[in-house]
Amino acid sequence: MDLKTLCEINAPSGNERELRRAILEEARGLCGAENVRIDRMGNVLAFRKGREVGRPHVCVSAHMDEVGFIVLGATEEGLLQFRPVGCIDPRVIVSKRVTLGDQKLPGVIGAMAIHLQTDKDMERVLGYKDLYIDIGAKDKDDALAHCPPGAYASFDTPYTPFGEGFVCAKALDDRVGCYNMLELMRERYPGDVTFAFLTREEVGLRGSIGAGYAVQPDISINLEGTAANDLGCTESRFDVCCPGRGVAVSFMDNSSVYQRRLYQKLNRLADKGGIAHQPKRGVTGNNDAANFQRAAGGALACTLSVPCRYIHSGASVCCLSDVEAQYALTRAFLMNA
Amino acid sequence: MLRDTLKKLLSVYGPSGNEHAVAETVKSLIAAHVDNMRVDAMGNLIVEKYGADENGKRILFSAHMDHIGFIVTDIDENGFLRVHNVGGVSPRISSARHVVFENGTEGVLYCQPLKGEEMAMKHLFIDIGAESRQEAEQYVLPGDMAVYAPDYFELGDHRMASPAMDDRCCCALLCELMMYLDEPKNTVIGVFSSQEEVGIRGAKTAAYSVNPDMGVGLDVTAWGDTPEVKLPAIQLGKGAAVKFMDRSMIATPAVRDALLQAAADAGVPVQREVLPFGGQDGSAIQHTRSGVPAGCLSIPCRYVHSPAEVIDLRDLEGALRILLKFVENV
Amino acid sequence: MRTEDFLRESAALPGLSGNEQAVARYIADAFRPLCDEVRIDPLNSVIARIQGRGPKVMLCAHLDEIGLMVSRIEEDGALRVGHVGGVDPRILPGMRVTVYGRETLLGVVGAKAPHLLTAEERKKNYKEEDLYIDLGMPAERVRQLVQIGDCVTLEGGFTKLLNGRYAMKTADDRSCVAILLRAAELLQRVDTAADLYFVASCQEEVGGYGAMTAGFGVDPDMGIVLDVTHAKTPGTPEYEAFSIESPTIARGPFLHPVLTARLEEIAKANNIQFQQEIVPRYTSTDADDLEAVRGGVPCMLLSLPVRYMHTSVETFDMRALEESARLLAACCAAIDDTWRDDLWI
Repeated sequence: MDLKTLCEINAPSGNERELRRAILEEARGLCGAENVRIDRMGNVLAFRKGREVGRPHVCVSAHMDEVGFIVLGATEEGLLQFRPVGCIDPRVIVSKRVTLGDQKLPGVIGAMAIHLQTDKDMERVLGYKDLYIDIGAKDKDDALAHCPPGAYASFDTPYTPFGEGFVCAKALDDRVGCYNMLELMRERYPGDVTFAFLTREEVGLRGSIGAGYAVQPDISINLEGTAANDLGCTESRFDVCCPGRGVAVSFMDNSSVYQRRLYQKLNRLADKGGIAHQPKRGVTGNNDAANFQRAAGGALACTLSVPCRYIHSGASVCCLSDVEAQYALTRAFLMNA
Repeated sequence: MLRDTLKKLLSVYGPSGNEHAVAETVKSLIAAHVDNMRVDAMGNLIVEKYGADENGKRILFSAHMDHIGFIVTDIDENGFLRVHNVGGVSPRISSARHVVFENGTEGVLYCQPLKGEEMAMKHLFIDIGAESRQEAEQYVLPGDMAVYAPDYFELGDHRMASPAMDDRCCCALLCELMMYLDEPKNTVIGVFSSQEEVGIRGAKTAAYSVNPDMGVGLDVTAWGDTPEVKLPAIQLGKGAAVKFMDRSMIATPAVRDALLQAAADAGVPVQREVLPFGGQDGSAIQHTRSGVPAGCLSIPCRYVHSPAEVIDLRDLEGALRILLKFVENV
Repeated sequence: MRTEDFLRESAALPGLSGNEQAVARYIADAFRPLCDEVRIDPLNSVIARIQGRGPKVMLCAHLDEIGLMVSRIEEDGALRVGHVGGVDPRILPGMRVTVYGRETLLGVVGAKAPHLLTAEERKKNYKEEDLYIDLGMPAERVRQLVQIGDCVTLEGGFTKLLNGRYAMKTADDRSCVAILLRAAELLQRVDTAADLYFVASCQEEVGGYGAMTAGFGVDPDMGIVLDVTHAKTPGTPEYEAFSIESPTIARGPFLHPVLTARLEEIAKANNIQFQQEIVPRYTSTDADDLEAVRGGVPCMLLSLPVRYMHTSVETFDMRALEESARLLAACCAAIDDTWRDDLWI
């Protein structure tokens, strides 16, 4: 499945059904239906038997879900009131397009015209309590008939290549990881590999709690799209990682201190294979590797990320060569684990 | 001797996630006294001494090997290292400190001029004497961790200060416990845990895999006996403290009371601890699987998370006697 | 047992998180005539089972309560305290509390008298460290009777208001334990397929550890968590507070969408009024922890609206409680093997 198709499917946290179906079908085709299952948290787990015995069991994971919105209710005028699902800065959502529910109903997030705002209004950050999704409904009943409380919304952004080797899309975090897992699944490896497509990362690393326990691998390699902060002449110490410079290998973040021997092995493999790589230097942020590292009796863990600018907005940007580097390094590891 | 064991452990490098040197030191100290030892994926050292009684309990004691430190996140063109904290580091007390990396590289941690802001980690940097990024990278790379330079010194007859007292004093205590246990009826499992300072991470997997009947965290606690400090109501030299609660755990009443009883039986002074903050490995034991009765025995420690953490060795020696009695009693 | 009696008697028992032995024993006794097996687990959760052949369902409401713990005894015999769970220090001044020392003692929470405060000081709220408990006895006597670590509960009154409304300590969450009991009663004459575990969980107020550990032991196929939510009072934010008159059923990423929809259908089919509660993130109930047990437990969340949460006058409506029990019983009766199928496709 190509990255465009994956990015354009809506899967806000807790409502990953459409993407789960697509991935399930693809994974069954690649690994055999008997090797693919859905666990008790809605994660898709695909197992690839190794060619040799005595090798460690590796779990490669990526999360299916994306940040989005959930409808609370509607105003008398028929404007939908909503909250974010996952962390979305309300400053990036004004004047954006969204689609709602399974029927992908179009909507827009508007704000009062600046002509009508006072100077004081202009200084204030518009919060979720000031913003509405307009679906063109006549009134409250009309709005709620189309989008009842609990309906989910996603950014409506077409997948668009631009510049030189870059792409702009919604949900690059973490469809890049899902994409590479589906590619990696085409082969068999020396050791057993479980590919885990996870739910609800964006609301607090939830799906991986169940998958970590269900899989209990020896080694976890988590594939992510992570925040880059490189443009605009930032000081290098605030970069985190840079699009175009290869896959970002994590030594630590807010949720894990990764085992050093695995971090070093991945760096050696990248050097040896001529795979572009960089350390992920920012140590904030959380990801699913934490739950694999510390499920049950524990596992070795590392996170390999594609640097993404404007993550958690409707228009994130990454460099396709980094997506390839993430694939290449993960593959090299699976061949040598 | 507890004091000698402690000194051996205080000088070993071991920030969270990089505890292997501590584990090696512990192994060398107690190999002759335990029935088996293993290191798990998280870097926990798990040692076991079998009980004589087939129906005896399996009791887990956990003391963490790691201490707080600094991780390099960037190296600038002039060779200065930017760092992030590993665990609960106070930026204010970190400036102008001697720090050391695992490979022996020494550095000075210092703070850039502040423009009216409160000091934060982003203002700190390490100077290792390099004149360029290239030169610095020969010694240190992003991802490497520094710690306050290992040190210890004695204060008066009974007290000792070190940047690694939290929680090497309890590692020493646990080592001594394993050495002193003579054919216990209960099986005693010692976990020298990893990554406590970043969120009680090592003990979580160790507790799960050990699956004990009962557990006790061993850690330092805060103090209330220096100028203008009142809580917790804990004093140095007045005995180890039996924890009632902290922010990670409400001690299981049965374990807490058994620790108090053991102290009474051993004739050792003990304090009661209600800590309005903090956490320790006992919580990971209590909350694992379907729940394990767990408590914590604390060593009062002044100036925790500073380069001069101070304990009273009499409290540590008393704790050893309490634990020996506890293993016998339960 | 009459629900009102259960609530009055259980509110009078101490059950601070982690020290719930007394209330756990009382609740276990209340379940005993209604269930096939009842046990108290190592951390004080009560687990009561009505055996069935079908899916294992864990019904969970917490039995622990917020309160205080003695952290220091001053020279003059005043007790300083730390909080267990989220106690707002602003409700404490002038409150009568119970101190569980070597004897059970009445205490009064005191603070510096307002006459002695500066105008500036009076504008600020009291903090925990400004307050103390007065036992009305000499310091030596205090030290004989009280030790650091002793539990202190908030004022334990039980007051019947108009219109079937009740104000009490620990409506959070013993009102929901009462729902469990009432549902177990309603199920006495019903042949249920589901294997039902009624769990009154410990340590919810300090982090959901009871639901986590009891859930691990029970290893259910699905969970129904009951807790209180906020009832509307003047100034409560829209969508975060609800009518006191009926329960809420929550939707959101932490709750299973298919199971929740079934619960809503059962409510409609039985003419049980309910409100929808949308929770975009953590539910801040045992559901967050039960859901994360082992490989995951798909959960539903049913909540009883309560006014003045985390005070000693938490107020709820008895009809909403009774209707919640009716809904829970109807749902338990409906669950069969088909509930395990097709949850994710």
